[in-house]
Amino acid sequence: METEIRLESRYRPTEDVVAREVMGKILIVPLTSGIGDMEDEIYTLNESGRRIWDRLAKGHSVRTLIESLSSDFEAEAGEIERDVTGLMKELIKRRMIEEAPDA
Amino acid sequence: MNESFVSAVDIDDFALWDKIRDKRFPASFDIEITARCNNACGHCYINLPADDPDARAKELTVAEISRIADKAVSMGTIWCLITGGEPLLRPDFADIYLSLKRKGLLVSVFTNAACIKPEHISLFKKYPPRDIEVTVYGVTKETYEVVTRIPGSFSAFMKGLTALTDNGIRVRLKAMAIRSNVHELPQISDFCRERTKDYFRFDPMLHLRFDRDEKRNEMIRAERLAPEEITAIEKADPKRFHALMDNCDKYIFRNIPARGSDRIFNCGIGQWSFTVGYNGFLRICPALWHPDCMYDLRKGPLEEAWEDFIPQVLGKKTQRREYIETCGRCPIINLCLWCPAHAYLETGKLDLPVESFCKVAHARAAALKENIPDRP
Repeated sequence: METEIRLESRYRPTEDVVAREVMGKILIVPLTSGIGDMEDEIYTLNESGRRIWDRLAKGHSVRTLIESLSSDFEAEAGEIERDVTGLMKELIKRRMIEEAPDA
Repeated sequence: MNESFVSAVDIDDFALWDKIRDKRFPASFDIEITARCNNACGHCYINLPADDPDARAKELTVAEISRIADKAVSMGTIWCLITGGEPLLRPDFADIYLSLKRKGLLVSVFTNAACIKPEHISLFKKYPPRDIEVTVYGVTKETYEVVTRIPGSFSAFMKGLTALTDNGIRVRLKAMAIRSNVHELPQISDFCRERTKDYFRFDPMLHLRFDRDEKRNEMIRAERLAPEEITAIEKADPKRFHALMDNCDKYIFRNIPARGSDRIFNCGIGQWSFTVGYNGFLRICPALWHPDCMYDLRKGPLEEAWEDFIPQVLGKKTQRREYIETCGRCPIINLCLWCPAHAYLETGKLDLPVESFCKVAHARAAALKENIPDRP
């Protein structure tokens, strides 16, 4: 079933991964089993992915995140929303982020 | 925006390596969490008795290890190897392991597998290590226990290894080729290759004790194979011997420098890694135990050790002619066990040649040249 991304929600990194920065690159290192196919596998985010990750980790809601990225990239909010939710679905599928409980 | 935001990369292919190729960067560190071991192998350089109270008292605590690792991670370290002694002897092993994993380090473990308990299996299943390397001392009870000098150690090893492999935990096997097991090396090699197809290595080079205990050093010397035995077992392993031949130019330099180097440290140590000893002393490589080359991380920060102390040690020069005229200009130094660390363990000096190493290196060079006739 397709994961639904709720725009008013906040999402956060799960406890199954550790994200760290090494020489300007964000590395996502699997902590628990079943994240990657190989124990040597790590994940990197491109510049756009990194902006999304940073803001999610800071506790921005998806809507706030989309608005700020629209402003950064001077792009249509609809286009940004598709990209953001696309990445988020991929991260959820890989157990890298999860919906945070309401504060 | 780019449509592909996240990509999985094998750590060996990580673009970071291009950035750090030409500079010092602490990509990895080994941490010996104990110098104690449940086995008592005669060939081993670091295996104090399992119940040694002094060794236990000096061991870094979980909090101290965590503090050192935090610094390493802030400096960009990616890999960490937990070793010993036998690391699983520590009752707080899981705390140490998880503390390192939770910092985002890729953690490997060296163990003899005999201390594996169900709780270790659960830990490794839930939080997989990058790999676990297990040394196979023999594949029969007789040989294994002649090496370890502990009755019952073979069945404990087999039980631990089976538990690891049956639970799908990534294990790599390796062996030491020594006097006590060399008769069984082909069977050891088969045993290892059956279980870890992509990886197997054996090491015939034994270096002396970290504590320079002469009685124990005599035991290590007695376990060393003769040069011709070393070359014979290397030739008997086609994969290993072809790798030596393929890289012949790295092992036998075509030109001998007219003048020897007065620099002692000509290997790659201190460029991308460091070792943390059980007692909190940073060493530049696992074998370098000279007191002037160690830095007490209980007294000073890792950054200072990495940025100031290590370069200072690596810059050491010598006026000793015996070194400058031999090892300092030796074209087969890369086939030799000689390095300042091993020289210190053998002779008490960082810059003295070691005759027994020379003999092995020359035998290895002769074996290579026999198979590559065009080499001078």
